[in-house]
Amino acid sequence: MQDISELRKDQLDALREVGNIGSGNACTALAQFLNRKIDMNVPQAKILPLNEMSTLIGGPEEMVIGIFLKVMGNISGRFLLLIPETTGVKLMQTLIPGSTVMKAAAMNDLEVSCMREVGNILAGAFLNALSVLTRTPMLNSLPSMAFDMAGALIDSVIADMAAVSDHVLMIETSFIESDENLKIHIFLMPDINSLGHLLDQLGVK
Amino acid sequence: MPEIYPVGMAELRIARDPDILAAYGIGSCVIVAMYDPKSRIGGMAHIMLPDSTGISQERLNPRKFADTAVPLLYQTLSHAGCFKTSLIAKVIGGAEMFPPNEDLKNNIGSMNTAAAVKALEKLSIPIAAQDIGGRAGRSLELKLDSGKIHLTVLGESAKEL
Repeated sequence: MQDISELRKDQLDALREVGNIGSGNACTALAQFLNRKIDMNVPQAKILPLNEMSTLIGGPEEMVIGIFLKVMGNISGRFLLLIPETTGVKLMQTLIPGSTVMKAAAMNDLEVSCMREVGNILAGAFLNALSVLTRTPMLNSLPSMAFDMAGALIDSVIADMAAVSDHVLMIETSFIESDENLKIHIFLMPDINSLGHLLDQLGVK
Repeated sequence: MPEIYPVGMAELRIARDPDILAAYGIGSCVIVAMYDPKSRIGGMAHIMLPDSTGISQERLNPRKFADTAVPLLYQTLSHAGCFKTSLIAKVIGGAEMFPPNEDLKNNIGSMNTAAAVKALEKLSIPIAAQDIGGRAGRSLELKLDSGKIHLTVLGESAKEL
């Protein structure tokens, strides 16, 4: 494949199933971790023009917490969580006894570390499921976290994936907690070089 | 009323007085703005990557790379009637948004800035102002009546460049 815009519908369907299985596992992990009921939106596999990714979460200037990991191995890519500030604050208050954080810009080291761990757990759960599905060992990097404009976080993550294409392939879903309105967006963006192997393992080469 | 034209990633656009060119939520990308105070025409390139070397011609989007976008912006402005000798440039962006760790070494922002500066030097266009690097995202508007850039950065007060 030369460009991700050449992906067929059956291939996108298979990638959406990857999103289903991966985020299902991540959703369960989050629910156990928080001891609450978490709902998952139907995952999507989308080929998006470069500038449309930030519109999925409210525009390029929307302030969000971003947690970014690289995925390594025969299936490689980027894993990005985008979390609205209100959700981030609730997560920290839930997970860190005594945390009084009210604003993401005022997070201390422990709170940053907590958010990175949330990223680690969700990425680990997602990728484990994907690893079993594709019979391919997958590793993730240590997570890195930043709080800033969504557009600025996204451009840093997709820049070098965008060298040959004006589109990005993303498998996207979001988690929502029913009563307290926690919202987490998950994006997995496979590298084009590893798509062949991924599609082959999914039986839709 | 001036129109505001947003310039997204890997886009390049020119406009003239009284309009405004804008770029929102810039992280590791770098914005090269050029302005000719005589004709009051200016333009902006929203660059994602430093170097197009190795990208085959038919797949190349020249607006995406510093080494191709900067000359393209210059040519586009020349064709629109800018005075080449009075062109000035401003360079903004190139942050490293995610703190690096053992596994993640991000330096795309500084590479973008360095490549943009190099491309401007090659064309002998002076850099009148810059706001580069750091760890925070930026939003900016280039006003073509004056060539001034209004810049906002998280946690800082807005400034004019």
